[in-house]
Amino acid sequence: MALVAVRELRAERRQPDGVVAAVTFIAVLVLLESLVVGPQIARDADVAAALFWLALTFATILATMRSFDRELEDDALEGLVALPGGRDALFGGKVLSLTIVLLLVAVVGGVLSLVLLDLRVALAPHLLVVVLLGVLALPPIVIVDVVLALRLRARAALVPILALPVLVPQLVAATRGTSAALSGDAVGALAWAGLLFAFAVVYTVIGLTIVPAAIE
Amino acid sequence: MLSGASLHDATVVLDDRIILRSVNLVVGPGLTLVRGPNGSGKTTLLRALAGLLPLARGDRKASGDVLYIGHRPMLLRGLTARENLEFFVRFRGGDTRVIDGALRAWGVGEDMDRPVERLSAGERRRAALARVETERVPLLLLDEPFADLDEGGTTRLRQTIARAREDGRAVVIATHAHPELDDLAKARIAIDDGAATAA
Repeated sequence: MALVAVRELRAERRQPDGVVAAVTFIAVLVLLESLVVGPQIARDADVAAALFWLALTFATILATMRSFDRELEDDALEGLVALPGGRDALFGGKVLSLTIVLLLVAVVGGVLSLVLLDLRVALAPHLLVVVLLGVLALPPIVIVDVVLALRLRARAALVPILALPVLVPQLVAATRGTSAALSGDAVGALAWAGLLFAFAVVYTVIGLTIVPAAIE
Repeated sequence: MLSGASLHDATVVLDDRIILRSVNLVVGPGLTLVRGPNGSGKTTLLRALAGLLPLARGDRKASGDVLYIGHRPMLLRGLTARENLEFFVRFRGGDTRVIDGALRAWGVGEDMDRPVERLSAGERRRAALARVETERVPLLLLDEPFADLDEGGTTRLRQTIARAREDGRAVVIATHAHPELDDLAKARIAIDDGAATAA
């Protein structure tokens, strides 16, 4: 699993299309947010949190699809799954590497949101926990959906359609948890963080069950 | 461990089309050639032997690990040739010190630290075939391995096949050309419209 993650991160470092697309996307959305809804509404904790997580979800889809597009070039994916234990390592390795990439994207998006929207963070440690757990819950389901749609020409349209309904509970929990941390509700933030942890575990188990079979 | 693999009554259906029809096949040490026209099922047969395809009917057995190299190089873009081979060797728990020598022997020594997308098709093919020497697995499945190779590469591949055969490894090659391999082959399989027969 770690070997697959290192392989992925090395490739991403040399061809950072996924990271660049994800960071650009989240930066543009944060910029547009304050222009479209105005600085007063954009600064609202609920609005800022919702937009951050929506942007991060689409950034996850972009980065995951780019990661698998790279695997499809020259049949690199087949080289990996032909290895003994390759199918199982694929999912774990992709989750690990995409989580690292998304944490980077989340940091950039978070800093931009804080600076451009002039947000006040009441509970910084709580916010970090919510963001970390929210990011952990994102890649497993998106990877499952990308794998299910891997050989379909319309996968760019299909992946969001498949992923977003499943991710709605996670998006709600992440948005509410972030909003609670921004506005100083420690109990609320931790409660939502616990729910995010549960989603991360459930989504990972689903991925571990489906991806090795789906890749066949 | 005896190197080899077998298919028993193997049927593969892809997109509602039967690609392999009740194939019975035992592959043992030495060279086995799979010949057939384009679209006859050579690649599917190799992928079935590698365990990369679900069988609609029948079963597959393999003793030990399998190295399958398809007709594309299966190297990840963004990584160098050396990094790609290191990944495969480490994944199998092998010795990475053999990689530089193998890549040099295949004529990719100068370019082993360039990302594979900057290599020519022939160089990528050479780097992929160097895996035969870096991953010492008992069963080799090579799909049209001569594609993209120049004369030097073709000679090197023939030598590699001969050496693997002498080492007691099972080598299965799918190709519709290279009749000179017939002399080296222990078994020949003709495949047409998904049905395999001994030739």
